[in-house]
Amino acid sequence: MHESPLTFGGYRYLWVALALSGLALIAYVVHTPLGAPPNGGTWLGYSLGTLGALLILWLLWFGIRKRRYGRGIGTLRGWLSAHVYLGTALILIGLLHSGFQFGWNVHTLALVLMLAVIFSGFFGVFAYLRYPALMTRNRENATRDAMLEEITELDQNSLMLADAVDPKIHAIVLRSISRTVLGGGVWAQLNSHDGSAAALESLRAAAKERDKGAASKKGDSGKTMVMMVDFLAGQASTDKQSEALRKLIDLLSRKKTLAERVARDIQLQALMEIWLYIHVPLSVALLGALTAHIVVVLFYW
Amino acid sequence: MRWLIRKVAKKGKGQVSFEEDVHYGDVLTIGRGADQAVFLSDLRAAIEHARVTALGGNKYKVESLITAGIRINGAIQKTVTLGPGGQIEIGGTRIELLAAPQDYDAGVEISAIDKAELAAEKEKARKPTSLSETWLSRRMPAWVLLIATLVLFLALPMAAHFSPSVSNILSATPLPSRDAWSAGTLASAHHFFGSDCKSCHSEGTKWVKDADCLSCHGETTKAHADPAVFHLPALGEARCAHCHRDHNGKNGLVREDQALCADCHVGLTTSTAGVSKLADISDFGLDHPEFKVSLPAWDSTGKYTPERVALSPDIEENSGLKFPHDVHLDVEGLNAPDGNRTLDCASCHVPDAGNAIMKPVDFETMCQDCHALTFDVTQPERQVPHARIQEIIYMLDEFYANRALQGDVQDAAAPESLRVRRRPGQAPTPAERQLALTWARDKARQVGESLFTGRACTVCHAVTPGRTAEEPWMVAPVRVAGVWFPKSRFDHGSHTTMGCADCHKARESTASTDLLLPDIASCKTCHAGESGGHDKLESGCVACHGYHEAPQLLQVDLQKPD
Repeated sequence: MHESPLTFGGYRYLWVALALSGLALIAYVVHTPLGAPPNGGTWLGYSLGTLGALLILWLLWFGIRKRRYGRGIGTLRGWLSAHVYLGTALILIGLLHSGFQFGWNVHTLALVLMLAVIFSGFFGVFAYLRYPALMTRNRENATRDAMLEEITELDQNSLMLADAVDPKIHAIVLRSISRTVLGGGVWAQLNSHDGSAAALESLRAAAKERDKGAASKKGDSGKTMVMMVDFLAGQASTDKQSEALRKLIDLLSRKKTLAERVARDIQLQALMEIWLYIHVPLSVALLGALTAHIVVVLFYW
Repeated sequence: MRWLIRKVAKKGKGQVSFEEDVHYGDVLTIGRGADQAVFLSDLRAAIEHARVTALGGNKYKVESLITAGIRINGAIQKTVTLGPGGQIEIGGTRIELLAAPQDYDAGVEISAIDKAELAAEKEKARKPTSLSETWLSRRMPAWVLLIATLVLFLALPMAAHFSPSVSNILSATPLPSRDAWSAGTLASAHHFFGSDCKSCHSEGTKWVKDADCLSCHGETTKAHADPAVFHLPALGEARCAHCHRDHNGKNGLVREDQALCADCHVGLTTSTAGVSKLADISDFGLDHPEFKVSLPAWDSTGKYTPERVALSPDIEENSGLKFPHDVHLDVEGLNAPDGNRTLDCASCHVPDAGNAIMKPVDFETMCQDCHALTFDVTQPERQVPHARIQEIIYMLDEFYANRALQGDVQDAAAPESLRVRRRPGQAPTPAERQLALTWARDKARQVGESLFTGRACTVCHAVTPGRTAEEPWMVAPVRVAGVWFPKSRFDHGSHTTMGCADCHKARESTASTDLLLPDIASCKTCHAGESGGHDKLESGCVACHGYHEAPQLLQVDLQKPD
């Protein structure tokens, strides 16, 4: 049975985080700093600050630990669970450390960066809990490569069919192939966009026009025997072409479904990764701000 | 026009074979149609896909016959004019334009595009399908942000600490300087030098030193915070910054918490081994003893030596003055020389400039209207000064000597020679002068006696016979207004919402021995200690007492025995 990072070990780290937060909160409520509002400079302030700084360093270590999958103490899943829960507890510990004193300074900068890192991490937790299931459902047991291969095959087959209908349809199909774009830049990936729908629309429009043309032709014919023979021959070939056209539409519909699925797959994967591009650089920026914060506090005692 | 169409076929292992064909006409058609000059069997080609027109002089015009355009020299184009070497790609076929070969007017070479090349081309055209393939990066921004935070918030302000010129440059720019290090709002009194951190943090990596504080606050009495006097461990290391922690808001610098005092003032007898006689106080509302008042008193030499007494209803004040408040505050009014006059507190008690205590009562402006110091019925407008006894005697001597020498004295008891009117130019004889002097002295003494013991002075003052002939009377020393509670701060100005009678029961007071000071119960109707503030004014110790204001500290008592 799959165990999510949240439920790991019977919520072991949830309890650790709750205990840590509870202790910090009780200490904060009980502690009455002498002669000043609660702030980072009291014994409790320094204690919470030390605890917070150690937690931040440990949370940052996760970036290294996760690259050593099997090595080290504990499982990576356990580490992730602890990373999530203790990271969340850090919100309270950081705020209590600050004594809710904020300002335009390096100290509040560190706090804001820390909160930004944690909240981007919350999106990560959401993404990891939600998107893998959506991706599995979206792929319907196929892999992305298999779907891409099928699209290539469908392209070949539709070209062949289109060739049997007429050059105009062939051109439309050819254009549709070149227009189907999967992936792309950051925005395109997050937007889940593919060009396959437009091709199908233009093909449907072309098919409709053909039908209309055939119908009007039908009205004119039937004057002479020679014309009748011509008409019958034309009719037969038109029937064959209509058949091909219907097949072509079926193929392109299937391709559209597949292309949309691949685009959605790319989108879900991008959503699952995008937060890391905020979480990781901000956490390193936090390391810088934290270093400055600690050095400054010890420099100007 | 003669075209050479050369078809290149690859046979593996690098072997190549050529097949040449000739085409006549200006235009070379390319497509999947059977009628095309260059026939392509590739399904990706249209029936009529493209057209090449030889323009002569090794120039070719290439036109796309499909709306999507064709790939010419790697770019999708519709119509283009090219020289030899131009390449047209349709599906898996490449058509290269040649310089006119010998015996031909134009030429093309047709070859299949290599499979590996096709795959590479396809890979090249493939769009990124994951974020790691895009421009997004984690490492680069992480480094940039790390370096930016360290430079902007650590290196630059640190440089400003060591170099005033860097500090000046930084403060002229929007770049963060040491203000980015400030751990919170400074106390408002420190704002005027607040941007110069070194005013207090004179040395990096060191605590703020007392010397930094004393460079401005040199006049501050150490009082309780004097380690040479107090050796109680509870006072800590007695650094200024131990209690005065700045960067905690505009009003955050002065400790107002009760623990500041109550930490030591509970169990003081034990902690000083019985030396301190001070009562234990933990909270004004809970266990503050009755106020001790400094009652006016004078020692045998006449030196003011107030007596510390706990307030109680039966203690009496010795102000040296007789003054019934009830008579003066009669609501019916008083018979003043200019008619009926009603007095109130402010008639006599006027706050000093700081509004904290009352000015001394002034006899000349407040009492003399009614309590005139007249002394001679023949000149009722003349009064003796409200001054020292000798000055009064001197004035009386002068007055009556002058009267005697003028003659025409309206006094039946005076010698005959003084009672006659003296004519101008008529000088008194020496005997007459002697007589006049004797009379004047006697009269002055008699009037003085009457003033000091009969009519005037004794109304308010206690007068006793003097010890010397020069000072025949003694008036008891007087202290009406002053500081009653020297160990605390009381400000009348911050109690103006109260009426005088709320604290001072003057209307019922019949004698000046009544001490009209409010007791602690009176204060507690509004004030509570630090803990009882839900329906009363929270008042910690420093609301009334000063940590650094203790002129009467029992310093010697707490000296550490050597």
